[in-house]
Amino acid sequence: MHPIRMLLLGLWLLYAQVAGADLAVIVNPASRVEHLSRPQVIDIFLGRYRRLPSGLAAMPIDLRTDAPEREQFYLLLVKKSLPEMNSYWARLVFSGDSTPPFQVADARTALDLVAGNPNAIAYIDSAAVDGRVKVVLELKH
Amino acid sequence: MPDSIVARTTLAILALSLLLGAIFALAISIRVQKNEEDRLYVRLQELLSTVESTARVTCYLSDRTLAKEIALGLLSNRAVAGIRIVAGDTTLYETPGAVRAATGDSGMRVISRRINSPFVPTERVGEITLYASQAEMRAQARRYGWNMAVVLGLQVAFVAAGVALVVFMLITRPIRSISNDLHRLEVRSGMRLRVPRTNRSDEIGRLVADVNALICGLTTLLDREHELRIEHQVQERKMKLIFDKAETGIFVLDSNGIVQSWNPAFVRILGLDERMTVAAAPQRLCDLLAPHERHIGDLIQRCLTTGQPCDTDLEITRRGALRSEWIELSINPIGPEGLQGVINDITERKWMEVSARRLASHDALTGLLNRQGVENSLAELFGRSTAARLSQVALLQIDLDYFKEVNDTYGHEAGDRVLCQVARSLESSVRLSDFVGRYGGDEFVAVLVGVHDPAKAQQIANNMIAAIGQPIDIGAGNCAHVSASIGIAFPSEPGETPDAVMRRADAAMYEAKRMGRSRACLASLPASSQSNRVATVEGSST
Repeated sequence: MHPIRMLLLGLWLLYAQVAGADLAVIVNPASRVEHLSRPQVIDIFLGRYRRLPSGLAAMPIDLRTDAPEREQFYLLLVKKSLPEMNSYWARLVFSGDSTPPFQVADARTALDLVAGNPNAIAYIDSAAVDGRVKVVLELKH
Repeated sequence: MPDSIVARTTLAILALSLLLGAIFALAISIRVQKNEEDRLYVRLQELLSTVESTARVTCYLSDRTLAKEIALGLLSNRAVAGIRIVAGDTTLYETPGAVRAATGDSGMRVISRRINSPFVPTERVGEITLYASQAEMRAQARRYGWNMAVVLGLQVAFVAAGVALVVFMLITRPIRSISNDLHRLEVRSGMRLRVPRTNRSDEIGRLVADVNALICGLTTLLDREHELRIEHQVQERKMKLIFDKAETGIFVLDSNGIVQSWNPAFVRILGLDERMTVAAAPQRLCDLLAPHERHIGDLIQRCLTTGQPCDTDLEITRRGALRSEWIELSINPIGPEGLQGVINDITERKWMEVSARRLASHDALTGLLNRQGVENSLAELFGRSTAARLSQVALLQIDLDYFKEVNDTYGHEAGDRVLCQVARSLESSVRLSDFVGRYGGDEFVAVLVGVHDPAKAQQIANNMIAAIGQPIDIGAGNCAHVSASIGIAFPSEPGETPDAVMRRADAAMYEAKRMGRSRACLASLPASSQSNRVATVEGSST
């Protein structure tokens, strides 16, 4: 690799590390979903409509609060901070109709869950995407 | 108390304040109601705003439970009659009957708000509609307005009461105190009004001071007036005494000459009825002095016109009196409409004047005219008679014969008796229109008026001689015998003086003496030779 390219890549990586990387919304290829719009993703993760366009039930997978991608995800998706999201869900605790997405410890677990479940839908760093899953929406800075 | 200024003032202030307060309160209540209604509307909008974020979530998730919660929360406000929350095509919550009521009845006010997604601000996820009960809003606004009105009314009432109290303390109470003082005040007692303690230096204090000054002045005036009245009474009594007891008749006339008042002397002098009173029919002065009616009228008129006192002497005859009386009447204008007059009885003075005049022209012994009297009478007769009338006047010169002897024999007293008797005889021999005089001594004169016939004159002379020739009683049983020689003359030519005629009669009388006494001789005409002849005879008289 060219040393200047190396430098540029290093700088970009450094930037990505500091500002947060691009995120990818991923599904199982068996879900027969090719692409999701941003509102469709919002409806699924925020409990309004938990069903994939192909008719399958959607199972959104969230990350724990301490995971760096989580804050990034909601900022990019709905421009809300984590406390705002917490208050949103807190409001719905007693009504019971809508529930927050199932939470997992880290992106890797989420990736694994999606890879093994055609209903699952999750978000991970774009860089971590592998062949087992399909990217349906990219959330860029 | 309705007459009390305090009560009236207080009532007036309270009534006025309450009326104004009520009007203001009503106006304010109406305005406040309107404002309050608008304010309630705004508040409902705000209410919607407070639930908006929850409503977004609710509509976004189509969460009926949340929708119901929001609706119940909103409905706890009494102005909210109904809520409808719609997410997309789904009605999440709707108060039963609210929509029907809202569409059918104008008593509902509808506030709708579009609800957007909490995550995609441009995406509409539903709508929340609030049905506000206008009646309830109005009722609330009215309650608020009424509360305001009541508060305002109370405030006005308290202010009015305060004002009434202040007016009472500062104005009406001092005035009542002054009024009570004035009511009890007796001016003569020297009492003064008290200045109310709180008003020493204000207008009420000054008023009291001025009233006191007035009272003080009034007291002085009253005292002075009292003194004057007493003085006047004294004067009046004095005047009354003078008026009643005066010898002078005093009276007052009005401008028509009617006697208004009079004193007893007036009644006495005029010989009026003593009982004459003012109450009787009014008497005019000229009626009381009837024969001088015109004269009195002129006098009053002159007096009123000139404004000067006027007087006159009048001869009156009292009712039933034989002799006439004389009064002096003076009238003097007093004021524009009245006259004061006095009358004095001047009968005595008049008689004295008459007797003085008589003394000058009459012989004291016989009462006949004296030389002066005869001459005056003749001068008057000759002065006013025409020549034709004068030719009818006969002058007789009468001289007694032997009178000297009577005087010498029996004394002067007897002589005087003879002279008096002769005078009576002469008087009885002539008519009343003729006159007889004594020239002095035993010399008499008679003037016969209207006699032109010498024979007639001769006859009268003869009668005289016969009467005189009668024996005359001279007292002490003695009688005197005298006779008379008479000369008769007629004025014979125009311009002849009485004196000249008398001289001719005198000459004729001497002729009679020379012819032997006790006879009458007719004087010759005034020829110069005859005059001379008579003149020569004159020298040899007795």
